[in-house]
Amino acid sequence: MNVCIAGAAGDGIRGAGVILGKIFCKLGYSVFVYQEYQSRIRGGHNASVVRASEREINSHGYYYDALICLRDYVFEKHVERLRGVLVCDSSFNLEHDRKVEFPITETVKKLNLPDISRNIAAISVFCKSFGIEAEVVESVIRESLGKAGERNLEVVRAVYENLDITVGQVRRVGERKELVSGAKAIAEGMLDAGLKFYYAYPMTPATPILHILAADNRCVALQPESEIAAIMMAIGSAFGGERAAVGTSGGGFALMSESISLAGMAEIPVLIILAQRSGPSTGMATFTAQQDLYFALNPAHGEFPLIVASPLTIEDSYRLAGELLNLSWKFQTPAILLTEKHITESYTTAKLGGVVKKEVEIFREKSSEIFKRYEITESGVSPYASPPALVKANSNEHDEYGFATDDAEIATEMYAKRMRKEEKIAKVVANLEPYIEIKNGKDWIVTWGSNFGAVKEVAEELGFSVAAVRFMRPLFLPKISGEVFCVECNYTGLLARLLEAEGLEVKRILRWDGRPFTPEEIRREVERWAE
Amino acid sequence: MGRISWCPGCGNFAILRAFEKASQRVIKEGYDIAISSGIGCHGKISDYLNLPSFHVIHGRVPPFLTGLKLANPNLIVVGFSGDGDGLNEGVEHFVHAARRNTDITIILHNNGVFGLTTGQVTATSPKGWKSKSTPYGNPEYPINACQLMLASGATFVARVFTGEQKRMAEIFYRAMKHKGFSFVEVLQPCMSFNNFWDLRKEVFWVEKAESVYEAMRKCEDARACGIFYTEEKETYEDVVWRSMF
Ligand SMILES: Cc1ncc(C[n+]2csc(CCOP(=O)(O)OP(=O)(O)O)c2C)c(N)n1
Ligand code: SF4
Ligand SMILES: [Mg+2]
Repeated sequence: MNVCIAGAAGDGIRGAGVILGKIFCKLGYSVFVYQEYQSRIRGGHNASVVRASEREINSHGYYYDALICLRDYVFEKHVERLRGVLVCDSSFNLEHDRKVEFPITETVKKLNLPDISRNIAAISVFCKSFGIEAEVVESVIRESLGKAGERNLEVVRAVYENLDITVGQVRRVGERKELVSGAKAIAEGMLDAGLKFYYAYPMTPATPILHILAADNRCVALQPESEIAAIMMAIGSAFGGERAAVGTSGGGFALMSESISLAGMAEIPVLIILAQRSGPSTGMATFTAQQDLYFALNPAHGEFPLIVASPLTIEDSYRLAGELLNLSWKFQTPAILLTEKHITESYTTAKLGGVVKKEVEIFREKSSEIFKRYEITESGVSPYASPPALVKANSNEHDEYGFATDDAEIATEMYAKRMRKEEKIAKVVANLEPYIEIKNGKDWIVTWGSNFGAVKEVAEELGFSVAAVRFMRPLFLPKISGEVFCVECNYTGLLARLLEAEGLEVKRILRWDGRPFTPEEIRREVERWAE
Repeated sequence: MGRISWCPGCGNFAILRAFEKASQRVIKEGYDIAISSGIGCHGKISDYLNLPSFHVIHGRVPPFLTGLKLANPNLIVVGFSGDGDGLNEGVEHFVHAARRNTDITIILHNNGVFGLTTGQVTATSPKGWKSKSTPYGNPEYPINACQLMLASGATFVARVFTGEQKRMAEIFYRAMKHKGFSFVEVLQPCMSFNNFWDLRKEVFWVEKAESVYEAMRKCEDARACGIFYTEEKETYEDVVWRSMF
């Protein structure tokens, strides 16, 4: 079942999507919630698409089984996708053959509740007409809104008492599930891997991670003056021996460039969450994209070891965020979690767990001798130390003690020592599922990031095998043959070009309109190639 | 330690010696110090001090120290920055670190020039000054670093001259012991590109002011030296940590 709730900014569309998602979760469904909203605080057009299924899903759908309109003017934008019931205020003059109307605005007014409660009223209308018990709706509202939401329960009751239409039957199908956002999953992954400091300058779509961590006292989350300050603070905390991360989108990531190179040179672990949105420049700030793959792979000047991975689902973003923080500390080099708005700001049913902090040794004692922080080792990894230990770090090329040098011999060795870490990283990553393969047939659909959910469904239906790349650096490409499609949210086919470099012939399925793929759209594109 | 590569007669030597003295005093009292420096001739001081250090990138000393201090509040953290480093490239960080009253000490090596890149104007070079990048004279007005820091909320603001090592050491010591954001501007002649050693005859010392406004007036003359202002105020770290637990 795929339900869209649409209205204006300020109507509480996003919150309504989450609440409806939780209602389905409570009934035991697997749920995915896509949030489409504009970069404005009031007016305009926002939508929340809630999909529920008895199978495990990681995408929303294109066609709606129900459309809930909180404004009359948004109907027109969505009617083409509507294949079922329209839920709206009885005062709207909307033409549709299957309609459930209710005096939503009037009811909310009569109860003396703020306008925003219309969202709860509308959900209640939907739930009642689809046979969901009032208790389920009430308990979700109580859990989600707490005391502040108490009065909304009156709206639910008013709707349940006065509406007597049944257009469908949503049954309970299993045990209650948990609904989490990508931002929450990423935050939890980092925390489970020992995160102590998170620094971020607000930038959509990474901002919710800051909000979540700021409210959580397992770590310190701060908002500095800029992205440059954010990553320099993280480097400071890591030099002090504590795990730190930063989060941003393309523009802020650009500002971090010089400091990422510093972390590479001084061998300081730092995790950077790069949540992509549509560019270039400010682009469409609240819309998803996969345009920054090469930027993440080559973020700064000079050569240095770097780990880049891109999660396929919200649950995967939990695992990879934790994995990357651990790897960054194991190898003392920056790591980038390359993700998207469609992960960070979407919601799904997921069980978060399994990430653990992998301890590394940190020398912290005072001594009269300078710590050999950059000892030349075979693996390239040297012992780590933090003040008050007598440890010296440097942005300049340096000797084993951290003193600046331009000696040719030392430079040759030290540079090679750092770079040797890449071989070790590759060995470890090879065992961490650098890509996922699902064999369904001889032809392939390849993808990365959040498209995975939609691709997987289509591939199963059409009998294609799926290859989804998780680690981008070091990069392991699946060994594939036959007909190859590549699905991405960008113009040139960034992953497709990497596949072509391996000698494959690739058919691109691309979009760069800021909207994520649904299974129906991918299917249409695959079929169009066949014509 | 690293082998010193500053030009003979460079004011950085006096800063180095004075800081050695001050830091030894602080360490004797049982404290641990960690330092950081920016990019420029001044930045090399990290290699010349027998202390934990991080020679970071151009202009970014204050946020680095903020992150370090948060991670280990027991450290006394000190940053060395240049007029180019701290007032051109990274001036926003100075303002915000002062505003937060982060418990760090910043020592500004103000030689009025980009030394390491061989002599261009900085934000503190006088108007009309002819440098390599301003052969017809500097078209810009200089900034008064102490005034900027006072306006930003720094709780310890001082200026010294490299000609007076003893007083400099004393002020460094007090700056480190001050709880909150401490700022010490050091007038430091550059032998190669901006030799204002003669200024030593004109430097005069003033007493501490009672208010920020009075301090602003006292440090207006770029030759005035002394501790202009101190204030006890809650530090950033204290507020952040308190909100956590
Ligand atoms: C981002 C960046 N831009 C430019 C430089 C080049 N650079 C090196 S030192 C310097 C100026 C240093 O001037 P100042 O901070 O006054 O230090 P001084 O050498 O005078 O002590 C510049 C611009 C750099 N290292 N990094
Ligand atoms: S160029 Fe100037 S500041 Fe740099 S070392 Fe020489 S004298 Fe000192
Ligand atoms: Mg200078």
